[in-house]
Amino acid sequence: MVLELHKPRPVWQIMFSTHHTDVGLLYLITSLGFLFLGGALALAIRAELFFPGSQIIADSMTFNRMFTVHGTTLIFLFILPSASAVGNYFVPIMVRYKDMAYPKLNAIAFWMIPPGGALIWLGFADFTWYATPPYSVISAPGPAADMWIFGLKILGVSSILGAINFVVTILKCKHPDMSIGQVPLLAWSFLSSSLIILVALPTFAAALLMLLTDRLGVSGFFNPVLGGDPIAYAHLFWFTFHPEVYVLVIPAIGMMYEIIPRFSRRPIFSHSSGVAAFVILAIVGFSSWAHHMYATGMSFTEKTVFMVGTLAAVPASAMHVFNFLATMWGGRIRFSTPMMWAVGGIALFFSAGAGGVVNSAMPLDFVTHDSYWVVGHFHLFVMGTIAFGTIGYVYYMFPYVTGRMYHEALGKVHFVLAMVGTVMVFFTQHVLGLFGMPRRIYDYPPIPEWVAMNQIATIGAMLIGISMAIWLGNMIYSSGRGREANMEDPFGLGGKYYYPHQQKNPVH
Amino acid sequence: MGEHSNWPEWVYIGVVVALLCWVGAEAWNVERLVEHVPEDAETIKVVGQQWFWTFEHEDGTKEIGELHLETGKAYRFEITSTDVIHSFNIHDYVVLLDAVPGRVNTVWFAPTEAGVYDIQCREYCGLIHYNMRGTLYVEDPT
Amino acid sequence: MRYMLGVVALMAVVATVNLSYAATEEPGEYLDRRTEIWNLFFRMMVVAFTIGAVVSGTLIWLIWRFRESHPKAKPTKYEGVDW
Repeated sequence: MVLELHKPRPVWQIMFSTHHTDVGLLYLITSLGFLFLGGALALAIRAELFFPGSQIIADSMTFNRMFTVHGTTLIFLFILPSASAVGNYFVPIMVRYKDMAYPKLNAIAFWMIPPGGALIWLGFADFTWYATPPYSVISAPGPAADMWIFGLKILGVSSILGAINFVVTILKCKHPDMSIGQVPLLAWSFLSSSLIILVALPTFAAALLMLLTDRLGVSGFFNPVLGGDPIAYAHLFWFTFHPEVYVLVIPAIGMMYEIIPRFSRRPIFSHSSGVAAFVILAIVGFSSWAHHMYATGMSFTEKTVFMVGTLAAVPASAMHVFNFLATMWGGRIRFSTPMMWAVGGIALFFSAGAGGVVNSAMPLDFVTHDSYWVVGHFHLFVMGTIAFGTIGYVYYMFPYVTGRMYHEALGKVHFVLAMVGTVMVFFTQHVLGLFGMPRRIYDYPPIPEWVAMNQIATIGAMLIGISMAIWLGNMIYSSGRGREANMEDPFGLGGKYYYPHQQKNPVH
Repeated sequence: MGEHSNWPEWVYIGVVVALLCWVGAEAWNVERLVEHVPEDAETIKVVGQQWFWTFEHEDGTKEIGELHLETGKAYRFEITSTDVIHSFNIHDYVVLLDAVPGRVNTVWFAPTEAGVYDIQCREYCGLIHYNMRGTLYVEDPT
Repeated sequence: MRYMLGVVALMAVVATVNLSYAATEEPGEYLDRRTEIWNLFFRMMVVAFTIGAVVSGTLIWLIWRFRESHPKAKPTKYEGVDW
């Protein structure tokens, strides 16, 4: 499916196309654009925290708006659309169907993202990606807050439409010769994450409307002055967004399931264990949402239930790690750029998971809750695991999308800088949390340990920034001027098993 | 696929599950111990609002932004808020609980060392969240 | 029968765990939550870092041993095969 190299097309032909690879390309470009925008905000936040006191950001309100939009952008406008990009390119091919099940719906789901993103960026709300009431109801300035609510509403509908499309494509449109057990693990990851979206997301969609009517003053669901309960919002929110964490991570794991066997030159150790782990994660993911809320004054019993529910999700994640290591064992591994990202992602996935176990152990929540530990912990997931898997996969599909090869040495430099930077930022932030620094603060007292660790974290963030700039340059240059890829075997793995190219999908 | 033995994976899963049981049991036990409030604990009412802390002792004395306690006594905080959610935190004594409007949350501790400690807000609460700080003075009983 | 035995064994385990934990209860003085919580944290860190060393050690060994430039690297039986 060489899009540009041999047959250049005007931009509008791609934009108004409903073909799955064209929609996938739109998803890819949009999500990477938002990655760089959100990343720029992160660099500004880190620069501001380099010293105590006010540095480059004028006031705390601007700072609060920046971390809110940073989080919202990278979760909803980078991670979700980039997963959809990969899914659009590969799921129909993997289940051997000519397109997504509903091509027009697919295009509509994509075209809801730009307006949603515009609402979030033009509004620039300040109430964190979690939009906590009663702050978000009585205190957050409009119209920014209302624009955020509408933006999220649109993005939520887009997610649901995309999820329906993936589920139908995989379950109903797969080739009749193919049993559900033979569906590749990448497609399985989209099936399980889409099913989670369909069950989890409507709850938040309802909560958003309640938040909006609360803000308009016509209801008081979450406003204690009117008899509402802000903790109810927390339950509704986390009932959606703890499973959503698995929605984000499962496709990234699926991408690793595609990369690691290819570059190890061995099939996956156990396909069935991968499928089982996805399914278990998708179900058990719903039993742990309130572990985000220990500090809201939950009873001992409630905490125990949600701790057990959280720990129950760990074996499934551990099965993935086992599967990856067992696949590499006995292989002949070529460490091209995608493989380096995937292996780095596994290493950080373990660290992130171990941190999660600590968070869920009830009394330790008194130490870690809402401190920089938590920031470090979930960034190890979203950056260290999800972004690493995704970036590796973007390198992997680069020849497939453009027909050209990226610059391999620059890709490796990108990986090394980003890996070092990620470890510097997020491991340091764990320790910073143990020293008691709260998250979401614009300024901090000049406690020597806090200052030192913030500076290490900022330097690490700048390394990541440099590496991402190298990546951007590499992608732009290589997509126009890169060496033409050998489409039979772009990574020189010595086989004809460069999967996507085996199945030629006609443009319809 | 299918030509290798699966028992290493089952052993591995068994080890993971055993470790998680250990983590759960240990955490459960410590939580049980720290949640057991001594009967003679003095009650301190804590109110969070944008963007300062107010404390009321059992004898009715009020303090704003600072709190004076004595070593060797147990204190039970009854924490609430008048506007948005805050989180009452004395990190040096691992005391942390949200101040939620419309609810009273309780947590207790017994200071052991005289000294000056930071009190901070650990839940985002708006403009001056970063500076919603207070000071805890722990003194030896006279 | 086996099912019943299993249930009895489980009850025995639960009772033992309960007893052994209950024995450590009732501290004479006020319990110091700092000590309890940080001790728990450090116990878990000992385990976490041990497992982390095993997992990342395995990963690093795999990367070193099975890289294609390793002297003993040999083609896998799947190479050149459509799988």
